[in-house]
Parts: sequence; C-alpha cells; structure tokens
Amino acid sequence: MATDVRQYLRLEAPPMPFCPGCGDRILLRLILTAIDELKINMDDMLFVSGIGCAAWIPSPHFNADTLHTLHGRAIAFATGAKLFNPKLKVMVISGDGDLADIGGNHLIHAARRNIDLTVICANNMVYGQTGGQVAATAAKGVLTATTTAGNYYRPFDLCKLVNAAGATYAARYSVTQPTLLISSIKKALQTEGFSFIEVISPCPTQFGRRNRLDTPKDTFKFFEDKLITKEDAEGLSPQELENRIITGEFSNGSS
Amino acid sequence: MVLKEMKSTLPPGSYYFSGNEAAAEGAIAAQCGYYAGYPITPSSELMHRIAARFRETGAVFMQMEDELASICSIIGASWAGARAMTATSGPGFSLMQEAISYAIMTETPIVIVDIQRVGPSTGQATRPGGGDMMQAKWGSHGDREVIAISPWSVQEMYDQTINAFNLAERYRVPVILLSDEAIAHLRERIEVRERITIFNRRKEKGAPPFGAGDDGVPPMPAFGEGEKLLVTASTHTEYGLRKTNDPLVQAKLASRLHYKIVNKREEIIEYEHYHVEDAEVVVIAYGFTARSSLFAVERLRQEGKKVGMIRLKTIWPFADRLIRNLGAKVKKVFVPEMNIGQMAGEIMKYAPCDVISFSQTNGEVIHPYTIMEQLERLL
Amino acid sequence: MGAVKQVRLCGLGGQGIVLAGTILGHAGINDRKWVAGSSSYGAEARGSACRSEVIISDEPISFPHVIEADILVAMSQSAYDKYIENVESEKGIVIYDDPLVSTKEINGLKQIGIPATNIAATELNNKQVANMVILGIAVEITKIVTKGALISAVEKNVPERFKALNLKAVELGLNWEME
Ligand SMILES: Cc1ncc(C[n+]2csc(CCOP(=O)(O)OP(=O)(O)O)c2C)c(N)n1
Ligand SMILES: [Mg+2]
Repeated sequence: MATDVRQYLRLEAPPMPFCPGCGDRILLRLILTAIDELKINMDDMLFVSGIGCAAWIPSPHFNADTLHTLHGRAIAFATGAKLFNPKLKVMVISGDGDLADIGGNHLIHAARRNIDLTVICANNMVYGQTGGQVAATAAKGVLTATTTAGNYYRPFDLCKLVNAAGATYAARYSVTQPTLLISSIKKALQTEGFSFIEVISPCPTQFGRRNRLDTPKDTFKFFEDKLITKEDAEGLSPQELENRIITGEFSNGSS
Repeated sequence: MVLKEMKSTLPPGSYYFSGNEAAAEGAIAAQCGYYAGYPITPSSELMHRIAARFRETGAVFMQMEDELASICSIIGASWAGARAMTATSGPGFSLMQEAISYAIMTETPIVIVDIQRVGPSTGQATRPGGGDMMQAKWGSHGDREVIAISPWSVQEMYDQTINAFNLAERYRVPVILLSDEAIAHLRERIEVRERITIFNRRKEKGAPPFGAGDDGVPPMPAFGEGEKLLVTASTHTEYGLRKTNDPLVQAKLASRLHYKIVNKREEIIEYEHYHVEDAEVVVIAYGFTARSSLFAVERLRQEGKKVGMIRLKTIWPFADRLIRNLGAKVKKVFVPEMNIGQMAGEIMKYAPCDVISFSQTNGEVIHPYTIMEQLERLL
Repeated sequence: MGAVKQVRLCGLGGQGIVLAGTILGHAGINDRKWVAGSSSYGAEARGSACRSEVIISDEPISFPHVIEADILVAMSQSAYDKYIENVESEKGIVIYDDPLVSTKEINGLKQIGIPATNIAATELNNKQVANMVILGIAVEITKIVTKGALISAVEKNVPERFKALNLKAVELGLNWEME
C-alpha cells in the first residue's frame, strides 16, 4: 500500500478524531486507495455520511464535496442529490447503527430502487460515538453498555438484507483484509446501481474494553477469529456458523 | 442576475384549480426541479399533480418511503442545485421537524407545504385545523428562524408557492406554506399571469458558503461545481468546518441564523388591512378564517359598526411591530383561530390592548356568522 | 355587488354529486365568472349524504362556502332533509329528483320536481348519469351558466370513454321540455 492518500485529504481539516487502533482510520485509507487506483477525480465525488464515528471518515477529511447529515438519514439525502444530478458519483459512508438501526428503512428502500449509490457501512457492533451501546449488527452474547449480560438478539445479516431488497452488489470484508477490501470498493464504485459493502471495523475503545479485550490488538483478534470466507462457510451448519462473520461477495446472481 | 423574469409554464388565463393543484402549479412555475413526498390526506392531490406534470417538465419526482426520507432527500437535492419541495400534513410535518432544523443550520433553501388537518395526532384526516402554527416555528430543537406563509385563497396557493421558493432561495432558509384542508380542497378561479419573477440562488466562486455575505445570507454553491463543499449541521465555520467546542463559533453562527431573518422581517412580512383607521375592534386573522372574518367585518361595517381586520399573510417571522402599533391604537383585538389560541398568544406578547382569543377545533371552518356574533358582543 | 349565485348540489355518495359540482364550476369559469367550489371529501363522500357547493359570481368571491343556497339541487331524501332549511327563502329555487325526494311545503319556496333518475334510466338506459340530466335541467331553469359553457365543461372533466354518454345526458337535461 504505497499510495499516498494525503493528496485526497483536506489540509485545513483538524487531526482525525479516531482513537488509537480504530478500524475507521484504516477504512479511510482503503477507500482513498481504491479511489486513487480507479483515478477518480475527487471533484466528481460526493460523500454523504450520517452521524457517528464512521460518519466522520469523509467529513471533513476528504477533499471533495461532503454532506454530513442526520443520524440515520444519509441515504435519503444521497438519493436526492444523486437523482437531481446523476453526474455526481455518490458514496455514502456511515456506521452500522446509523445505516442499519435508525436508518434501516432507507437502506432497504435504496436497495430496492437500485439507486446508483455506493454505501459503505462500518460495522463495529456498537454505537461507538455515544458510548458503546449495542447495534443491530452485534453478535449474540457480546457485552455492550446496554447488554451487560450479553447481547440476547441475533445480528442483522446486512448483505442478505440488501440482496433480498434488490442491491446490485453486496460484499463483506474486514479492514484486516485490505487487498480484498480495496478491490471490493473498486468494484462497488464501478457498479451501476446500488452497491453495498459491510466493513468489519473494530472499535477497541467502546467494544473492546467492555469485552475485556484490553488492547487494540486483542480487539482485532476477536474479530479476526470470527472471520470465515464464503467458500469455507459453504456446507457448514447454521450452528457451526453462529457467531462467525462470513466474508466475500454476495451479489445477486453473480460472484 | 439574481431576479429573473420568465414566462409562466402554464398558458396565461383563468383556471379552476383546487388549492393543492394550484400549489403544484406554483412550484412548477417557480422551476421546482425536485419534489419528494409521502402520501397523506389532505395533501396528496398536490403530489399527484406534481407526479403527472413533472413527466412533462422533466423535473425529478420521488415518492419516498416516509416523510423523513422525503425532506432529507429534498435537502440533498437542494445542495445538488435544485429548487426543491415537499408537501405533507400534521403527522408527516411532525416527522420532518428534525430535518427542518438541519436545513436551518445548513442554510438549505427548501419549500415545505403543510396542509393542516385537525389534531392532535391522526385526528380527522379530511378536516381542517390550524394546530401547526407554533410547530412551524418551534417544532424542532434549537432556537431557529423559518419563514412561514398562510395563504387564504387558491390564487395565493399558486402565488405564495412561487413566493415561497423565492424567499427560500433569497434567505437560504426553509419556507413553510402553512395551509389547511379548507384551502387545499377548495376550488376557485385563479389567474395565471404571463410572466413571473424568480429569484435565482446567488453564487460566488470561492466565497465562504456559510459566511455573513453582505447581509447575513451567504452565496450558495452546489455539489459538483468543484468547490469541495463541507456541509454539516454541527456548528461550523464559514467554510463549513466542524467546530463543536468553540463558544465563539457557536454564538456567531446561531446569531447570524437568527438575525439574517429577523433583521429582514420588514422586507419579508406581508399583511393586509381592512377598515382599521377608525376601528374600535380589529380582527386579526389568517388563512381561511380571514375569509370568514372579512365577510363578517364587511357586514358589520354596513351596519355602521366600527370593526376592522388585519390579515397576516406572513406568520413567521412574526409581525411584532405591526401588532404593537395596532394595539396602541385600538381597544380590542379579536383573534379567531382553528387552534387553541396559538397566534393569539403570540399577539398578546406584543399588543398593548385587550386580546380576545376565539378557538374552534371541531374540524369545521369558522363560519362568518360565528365571527359576527362574537364581534357584536365585543362592540 | 354584482350577481352572486350560491348553488348546493346534494345527494348520496356515488350519485356523482361532486363531479356535477366540479363541472358546474368549470362552466362558470368558461363564462368568465368568478367561481368557488367545495365538496364533501374522501370516505365521507361514499354512501352517506354528500354535497357539493358552487358559488358563481360576477366579482371576486369573498367567502367561498355557501352561506344560504339560492339554488338547491337534491337527489336524495336524506340530503334534501339536511339542506332544505338552508335555502334563500324569497328567491330560492329547489330542484329535486322526483320521486326519489318527497318535498316539504315551505312558504314561498319554489320547488320543482324532475324525474332525473327515471329519465336517465329510460332514455339512456343508465341511472349513473342522472347527475348530468339534473345538472342540465338546473342550468336550463336557472340560467346560471350558458349551455355552451356547460357542454365544454363536461368535455373537459369526463374521461374519454364516458364522454359521449355524459354529453348526451347533459343535453337531454338542457333540452328537457317542462310540462
Ligand atoms: C436522532 C438521533 N438520535 C440519536 C443520536 C445520537 N447518536 C449519535 S451517533 C449514534 C450512534 C452511532 O453509531 P454508529 O452509526 O454505529 O456509528 P459509530 O459511532 O459506531 O461509528 C447515536 C445514537 C443522534 N445524533 N440523533
Ligand atoms: Mg457502529
């Protein structure tokens, strides 16, 4: 990863707000690397985000048009901008709580309409910004500020969700799989229609700490141990896959 | 050139429109480029007409999944360069409140038509009410200034929708057309003029999009123009950079957002007066109720009674000076409303005279005879 | 003040009262008059008593709802009973569908029975257009709008596939010989 992504950053922006070991910092760099490799002109890009730590990835750091919106509504704002000016290349970057909890309805409807957006969802299983409450993506049993006896409910499988709704491209990768993730982002950006990538982006501060993962390294390991490729997952029973995170591309019909 | 005269999209002449249809035509005349909405009685015919007519004009229409998405998408479209609009009624208007606050903070021009129905909550969907007057002003968190207009006829549904777009673009603020079921479903003859005046968004390359400009209203670039815009509703600098810990930046921004409207209120506010010169009792009314009131006032004048009327065309910003001056001259003002004294309360803040509030919230318009009876008691 | 005529059409939901009102309003516009119209709206318009009001005036209209009807057109008993008290007592005219409506004697009030539903059924084999028959007759009696204005309003407001039938019905009304 030799790309110098600084050329895509806004110089006047303050230092990035991400905690030491935050997955979002890596994600930021990988998104810009994909853009660099595709040689996309940042003047053509519009980055839309909601509210949360992940929503701070593009705003204010990306040196392009950025629209930092309301909690949960990024996709709705993006829809209006894209439909009025189809020349804009629109990427939505936000957290799992933002896109899948409060904003879940907009997510499925944008997928159903197959609006030409690329949506990147940073999954840390919690609401990082507000103190580590459980998100709809949290694995069963995890400890959060609001599941102190362990999360009781199942997580959303966001790729299945958007696929069922009609997305053109859906994938899941972790920030610990940079090469795969970059190529997935590139694919998403080149997809016409709705493309969605769920990115496992660990949060050592809010998630790790509560789950007795004392260092960022432990937090990353916790997630890495759960990863299993789509190919390896084939043939395994639901029980065996419980609490595993399947990575790969899950697009309708293809790959 | 910021002000532009242009040809009306409809051939000039007389039309027999409902209020909803007239507002849709007003939006088309005002070059609305993007409309998003979610169906709700009694506003839906407005959306139906937009959906059909946009196919002819080439503008973008979207039926969204809810009112949150509707208003958020028009804000997105506005930043992409569109004159943008949505329409709704009480329950939907409530859902839009968070985003109205967003549009105020980000200085995004949008037009919201609120066809009021009687509440609280679902209430009576096909019956008029006036219960959103205060919600328009104070419906979301934060001190905030909007512009709200109350049309009293189908003609004004057309004219004031055009005006709403112009005000929104001129002041970079959401403008709310506070109408109601009685006007939205009324059909009247309206006159479409040959030419209309449109206010074009002011642009200035490189100028701070959230700076004070000459008059508190900065120019507004659009996405895709290479300006690398930073738009956020968190407290921000004049170039849109978040500053969420700096009291000075917060104070400066909040005060500019307030004063850019309040200091221009004499320019924004429109009202009409009838027989106030020698009046002892003056009715202050707006919307449909002003039609009933004027009828009552004219009848009583024929009988030699000293009554007059002020019609508030602009609701917000509030016509405080008008009311203060009026209250110093007359003994009593009478405020009939289809809510429980929402504007009467505002009038009491400024009028140094007796303010008599008359409320009717049964889902019926206030009959002229009711107003006559009430006024006769006060004379 | 110039001439102002307040018209109230009433009947049961499904009889086409609202459409008749809209057409009458459009006819007023065609005659270069000022017009205001309102009607029962939505679910309430189906089945139960339903009304449509039209005010036609030489000058802009101040209050846009009917205060006291100059012309009442009634197509059902319940609607007649509901609105008969609100007719101008000196110059008012009531036109009702006979025998669907039986009238009350009211001092000085001119009430004219027209078998509109029967006419529609026998002449056009379609009760559905009784509204157009009675509208045509009401216009013929009261001259509130011109014939040409009414016919062109029907053309503008009725879907293509029902146009011929509705035009026939309204013309039948306009040319009805009163005995
Ligand atoms: C309407 C509304 N409700 C609640 C909040 C508070 N809030 C801010 S961010 C957030 C959750 C963010 O979680 P996520 O989207 O997962 O982002 P992360 O911080 O984990 O990256 C919440 C609940 C808000 N800003 N707006
Ligand atoms: Mg999160």
